[in-house]
Amino acid sequence: MIPIWYGVVAFMLIAYVILDGRNFGAGMLHWLVAKTPEERRQVIAAIGPLWSWHEVWLVGFGGALLAVFPRLMASAFAGYYLALFLILWCLILRGISIEVGGHINDRQWQGFWDFVFVVSNVLLAILFGAAAGNLARGVPLDAEGNFSMAFFTDFSVRGNVGLLDWYTVSVAVFSVVILAAHGATYLTLKTEGPVHDRSRQYARFLWAAVVPLFLLISFESSVVRPDLPARAVANPFCWLGVLVILGSAITLISGLSTSRETRAFVGSNFLLAGLLAAGGAALYPVMLHSTLAPENSLTAYTVAASPRALVIASMWWPVGFTLAIAYFVFISRRYRGKVSVQRDTQGFY
Amino acid sequence: MNSTLSDAAFWSRFQFGFTLTYHYLFPQLTMGLAWFLVYWKWRALRTGDEKYNDAVRFWAKIFGLNFAVGVVTGIPMEFQFGTNWAGFSRYAGGVIGQTLAMEGMFAFFLESAFIGALIWGEKRLGPRYHFMAAVAVALGSWISGFFILVTNAFMQHPAGYGVEADGSLGITSLGSYLLNPWALVQFAHNQLAALVTGSFVVTAVGAFYTLRGRHPVQARLYLRAGTVVGLIASMLVAFPTGDQQAKMVGNHQPVTLAAMEGRFVGGPMAGVAVIGQPNVAARRLDNPIEIPGALSFLAYGTLQSYVHGLQEYPEATWPDNIELLYYSFHLMITLGTLFILLMAYAGFQNWRGRLETSTGLLWVLMLAFPFPYIANTLGWMTAELGRQPWLVYGLFRTGQGYSKVVSSGDTIFTLIGFIGLYFMLGLLFLYLVGREIGSGPDDDVRVDPGDLQAAREVPVRGKVPAP
Repeated sequence: MIPIWYGVVAFMLIAYVILDGRNFGAGMLHWLVAKTPEERRQVIAAIGPLWSWHEVWLVGFGGALLAVFPRLMASAFAGYYLALFLILWCLILRGISIEVGGHINDRQWQGFWDFVFVVSNVLLAILFGAAAGNLARGVPLDAEGNFSMAFFTDFSVRGNVGLLDWYTVSVAVFSVVILAAHGATYLTLKTEGPVHDRSRQYARFLWAAVVPLFLLISFESSVVRPDLPARAVANPFCWLGVLVILGSAITLISGLSTSRETRAFVGSNFLLAGLLAAGGAALYPVMLHSTLAPENSLTAYTVAASPRALVIASMWWPVGFTLAIAYFVFISRRYRGKVSVQRDTQGFY
Repeated sequence: MNSTLSDAAFWSRFQFGFTLTYHYLFPQLTMGLAWFLVYWKWRALRTGDEKYNDAVRFWAKIFGLNFAVGVVTGIPMEFQFGTNWAGFSRYAGGVIGQTLAMEGMFAFFLESAFIGALIWGEKRLGPRYHFMAAVAVALGSWISGFFILVTNAFMQHPAGYGVEADGSLGITSLGSYLLNPWALVQFAHNQLAALVTGSFVVTAVGAFYTLRGRHPVQARLYLRAGTVVGLIASMLVAFPTGDQQAKMVGNHQPVTLAAMEGRFVGGPMAGVAVIGQPNVAARRLDNPIEIPGALSFLAYGTLQSYVHGLQEYPEATWPDNIELLYYSFHLMITLGTLFILLMAYAGFQNWRGRLETSTGLLWVLMLAFPFPYIANTLGWMTAELGRQPWLVYGLFRTGQGYSKVVSSGDTIFTLIGFIGLYFMLGLLFLYLVGREIGSGPDDDVRVDPGDLQAAREVPVRGKVPAP
């Protein structure tokens, strides 16, 4: 049961990153690909009706974590205290900027909310990237499974680490670039006209930048956590992740080079999923690595709830998941195709 | 309160209380208003009368703003279980995590998939699916309320759990956890109270337009629906649901009932205080005016029933803020009674056909809308202050539940952030809703419902003259 639930929780987080990642990306590129007020409305409309559905994956992840791995939630959330609240505040500002920006047909009003939209999305991509870096590097867990972390200490990756160091910062940069590339691919699919053309150029440029950064991050990871490569090789799910990465990279490249927009976007989604899945499999069964002493690390087995809780959750989760997908398919089919400002913009048009 | 201002537990409580109280101002309107939208959308489908669609379009805009603030202020709630209440999450996460996770899977996915379509997607969906979207959002918001109330009911009156080897709680029976009798009563009471908020808001807007002589058709619709639902819901909040809730407290948390009434000495013929100030140091209620026997009768069925007093229990089990608990409970009851009287009078005038011409009554109805928000908040303060000093009643104390690794400095920092952010959100919300109410429903601008294709080319709020 515990490996399965590790997979389910990881799946929910990966789904969140893929789904909201496109919104982070579109948000970061908002000013670059859309110049006129009308074009900017187009970007918002592309994120459109489902952004809060995307965010629910994060809420669902949090709920599942509390239900199945309560001791992990207690340690990690209290330890990441300030960073987590920064993420929550950015999510508040991002959501509000999408919802109220279109309410008033006024240049100054929209300019302000566009600004909030861009800044909060950039910060979210950085913060989630740094969080991923922290997961891989580990945190200063003590023998009771607690930690409390400063924003930064001496920028080294061992011992009494802080939230930001040279490694987590470079993962944050990687996160910004790859999520921007993902968002650009999405905007290419969903928009027309100048926004489409600019997004297409950004997608090609950004995906090209992802490759060297990825190689750098892989190298850095093996320096920061020398135990990871051996673990990754031994885990079949890691190999599956690598296969997905290869397949989706080919799909993405062929989609981008032949302007098959759906194909490129599918490739982009699976590429992100493959990267995260391979990473998650390499870390298993450790959920929170201790930089102070490896024996302090929290594994899925030490933080799990009672076996009965896992069985009960396994009964309702598939039902909820099936329903969630059904709603998504219904709404996505209704909103298929390119967005039109006339029809889809949230607001005054 | 045993905690002081330098106490980390105090600031975690304060932050959770503040963010939760603020958050719940929004879902109560969402849950109350959702069924108005469903009803009007259904009437529009059945009768083809476009005034119902105008009402839905107008209220959907306010609903959307309200929903958005509810969503963004709700996400921090779940995460605070881990950030500020790590001890509680370790102890009870194996039980309460079930419903918090189910809320995401069964309620939030449903609501969030259809909310965009409900507010902006009338042209994308067509009338039938648009009605379905309204139903989906209403159902989602009520399912979400149910799971949260099950979670709270577990903290008030634990059910369906077992104690694990390490001393933490684990779920043993999903059925007895979800069907906790406390949860069912509290759910009914709370949802009806949300309908009171929804109906008072709808009524207030109707009264405002009537007084100004604007949008007469729409105003009549809002006044009619608002006062009818308002009367029914405010009566049901008091009886049977409020009555059952009080009996539940009397049976399972007798010390809480004693504190709610400021009763220090037990005895038969216990009265309900109409006025009085609890004086905890002197162990008495000052300046009391009581209805003799009322509490004995309401809580246990006869005038002679024995009602326990606080002095029968060790002080360590008393709620830690008896004064605030007493006032919350009494003000809630007072407001609830006034709601019934006001809506009954409005219903009577409506029956005589004089509602729209009773200027004084319309003024009162217009200005009354904040009070259900206050009453809902007071109800929750009664429930949560009454549960103290326990986090899980009888099992786990509040002082054991907070995150020991988080300093007061961190919590005060984030609390200041929330106060600033939520103040700005509040201003923004009031400004935008005020603006929507000011511009009013587009009942003079018609989109021909029969011609969806043509409607796609028509701007939603463009000034196209009626055919």
